[in-house]
Amino acid sequence: MSYLRRLPKFEYIATGSIDEACDLLAVHSKEAGLLAGGTDLLLQMRRRETSPAYIIGLKGVTELSGVRALADGGLAIGAMTTIRALMSSPLVREKYGVLAEAAAGIGGPELRNVATIGGNLAGALPCADLPPALIALGAKVTLKSRSGERVVPVEELFPQFGLTVARPDELLTTIQLPSVPSCSGGTYLKFHDRQSMDMTTVGVSAFVTWDEASQVFRDVKIALASSAPVPMRARKAEAVLRGRACADDVLEEAAAAVCEEADPRTSWRATREFRFELLRSLTKRAVRGAREKAAPTIGDVL
Amino acid sequence: MKHLLPMTLRINGETHDLLVPPWRTLLEVLREHLGLTGAKRSCQEGQCGTCTVLIDGKVVNSCLYLAVEAQGKDIQTIEGLAKGGVLDQIQKSFVQKGGVQCGFCTPGFVLATKSLLNDNPNPSEDEIREAMVGHLCRCTGYVQIIEAIQDAASQLKPESGN
Repeated sequence: MSYLRRLPKFEYIATGSIDEACDLLAVHSKEAGLLAGGTDLLLQMRRRETSPAYIIGLKGVTELSGVRALADGGLAIGAMTTIRALMSSPLVREKYGVLAEAAAGIGGPELRNVATIGGNLAGALPCADLPPALIALGAKVTLKSRSGERVVPVEELFPQFGLTVARPDELLTTIQLPSVPSCSGGTYLKFHDRQSMDMTTVGVSAFVTWDEASQVFRDVKIALASSAPVPMRARKAEAVLRGRACADDVLEEAAAAVCEEADPRTSWRATREFRFELLRSLTKRAVRGAREKAAPTIGDVL
Repeated sequence: MKHLLPMTLRINGETHDLLVPPWRTLLEVLREHLGLTGAKRSCQEGQCGTCTVLIDGKVVNSCLYLAVEAQGKDIQTIEGLAKGGVLDQIQKSFVQKGGVQCGFCTPGFVLATKSLLNDNPNPSEDEIREAMVGHLCRCTGYVQIIEAIQDAASQLKPESGN
């Protein structure tokens, strides 16, 4: 097996800027692998799932890391921002607690010190923890190439398992978060075996905007990990909740809708049926938790 | 394809000029080129923590880090901890509290402790456990390791004013 395996051979090219990385991608395109933190790519290379002839190292591109506030009240996060930097950023923790929460649940300190937000997205794995939180927040990414740049919502980034819509010559540079409305809050809940370090068996993120006057959900976004071949948004469940009160039967109805939309698989980690059970209970807990964060002072029946 | 890259690594304060293929991990270079075998090769996928080293003071799995990308950084391995033949306090605490049995996981735990106590000199038991999630020990059952870390924290605590 892969126990003693070394990495396949490649030529290493270090880059110092976004433009330089785009130039290299334009030349090498399909033969190139972009190396961010390496905690996914190096594993896949060791297993010979991929063997790029050129590895473009992004660790030296300082303009790709960091979190900054945008004029419209949103946030721009560089793709090479590490998971540790993300979860400890005051800008993220203050208004985007759901993202900090999802980040803090990834791996352990050793992985969080090197793994990046861009890598977590570009890997396009259904078990990744950041896509559900980012989808629930309505985040978008910027894809840049020598011929220009385009902005893609995270929920449209994953066309099929293991793939993003990025072309081989495009570099994911930034993640943009919109400003959050008042009376809103989000949460990300996941089930995994070791309660740390392990792959997510099922993850549910909910972001709620609460209507204080009418005591109903003004808006809800729900997104799922490990519930389909790609990270997905649960629109039917959102529609169930919109304009309704936060009551047991309503949450039950939303949980049933999530199970209708989701298409989890059976693997050694969990059966499809068990994942449905997890989805049912995590959805209810995530929506309720998000609602409590959106309007913690309100005391209707919970 | 260039098979050997000249690279300069600063390890435990010492500079090493090396010729290494770009596909070598930091762990492979430490163990096979420099004979620094304190960091261990085990799971090779970031689960077990036996290959842990400090890069610029932060814990990192050296099996998932290319040697070429560790240039210009300050790398610390377990070999650099004892000074002049005298064990570091963290090492002493691990020995005294029975936190070392077969020893395979110990370098990783000790370096993770060093990084933890640098960031947080007075960690709670939960914070200690959270900081150690990336490390597996198959001998001790972890209890003695937690005690060793608590002991090291209290020994290292700066003298409070009289």
